[in-house]
Amino acid sequence: MNSKTTITEADLNAYVDGELTPERLAAIEAHLADHPSDRERVAAWQAQTATLRSLYGHLAEETPPLRLSPWRLAAERRRNLRRVAMATAAALVLVVVGAGGGWVGRGLVMPDATEMTLVSEAEAAHTLYTPEVLHPVEVGGEEGAHLTKWLSKRLDRSLIIPDLAPEGFSLVGGRLLPAARGAAALLMYENVEGARVTLYVVPQAGGETAMRFTTKGDLTAVSWQVEALGCVLVGSLPRDTLMKLAKASYGSLETGANI
Amino acid sequence: MPGFLDDIETLVPALRRYARALTGNADRADDLVQDCLERAIAKQSLWRPIGPVRPWLYRIMINLHRNDHRRRRGSPEPEALELLSVEPASPATQGARLALAETAAALDRLPAEQREALLLVALEGLSYAEAAGALDIPVGTLMSRISRAREALRAMVDGPGPRLRSVK
Repeated sequence: MNSKTTITEADLNAYVDGELTPERLAAIEAHLADHPSDRERVAAWQAQTATLRSLYGHLAEETPPLRLSPWRLAAERRRNLRRVAMATAAALVLVVVGAGGGWVGRGLVMPDATEMTLVSEAEAAHTLYTPEVLHPVEVGGEEGAHLTKWLSKRLDRSLIIPDLAPEGFSLVGGRLLPAARGAAALLMYENVEGARVTLYVVPQAGGETAMRFTTKGDLTAVSWQVEALGCVLVGSLPRDTLMKLAKASYGSLETGANI
Repeated sequence: MPGFLDDIETLVPALRRYARALTGNADRADDLVQDCLERAIAKQSLWRPIGPVRPWLYRIMINLHRNDHRRRRGSPEPEALELLSVEPASPATQGARLALAETAAALDRLPAEQREALLLVALEGLSYAEAAGALDIPVGTLMSRISRAREALRAMVDGPGPRLRSVK
């Protein structure tokens, strides 16, 4: 009788559940050999486990119904998000039409007509392309070097594509768009929850400005001018998040201007 | 995202098993699994830094089930357990069938926290550490819930008091 250690109910449970260390296992087995009532208890628990498994075990062997396919559920979710985005786009049109009546007085309130054009273009591009599932971008983010080279060439300036990964947004990719004067680049980023933001970049002369917020319906735009680039970040996210992303973008693009 | 969906797809059969044992009802079980998967897909950003996906899915399911239970409490007719539709894996004698039905009924009468804990370990085969993580309780608390669940089940199925049994 060298198993003088106290055996608790927790030990017996751990024995049934295979949670014992080899030394402890040996001690419990020795104890059970000498204690019929504990042996009986353990046997009853083991029988319970076996009963539970024969009651419900077959479910884990069945092929689950189609409605429980994660792929299908994820696709449904994407469709729903898209519907929300479309509704937002529709609401945006209404806001613009509604604001039409006050157009004459608009220039007096708004800071700069050029900047407003830029913001409108950026919002339109965002609304058009972010709901796109199959072709949100022309060149995917995985072809980063190619994207940088291509957009730099078409915008006729060296462009550094901001890395927003530290903020939780990965690059989906980019595309080239016609703008009021020449071409613009649209870069799209996405977080793990599928929320997308776009960064609209247009080469244009102008002094450096502060960051400005514009809100239309669900969409918020942060716009600024740096060196010879007009930039607008658009998304339907809280202001703080957008501001953080805009600052990160500003830092990268500014570095790019020096090259 | 594709890796994540592949991961959870392989876990759906086990989730159905757990949901069925937890609710005792086939339709409610699959609804619960669907809610759980939808929640997981929407919230997947939360698990990545924390750890393995399996205990996390059980945790989501348990929380949904508790909420659901809270909503149902006080509803006039509780849904009947599907005792008769129990389909054991192997053909069983009438006596064995009855024993299974008895255990299913007893399981349903356990306090929810004991049922959740026992099923995670005994049916789903989670380790104590994983199950405690899924329930967000210390391992010691988990073990005492499991122990109480086993003794309560034994008392309900085998009847009170010592019982003659051939142990050899």
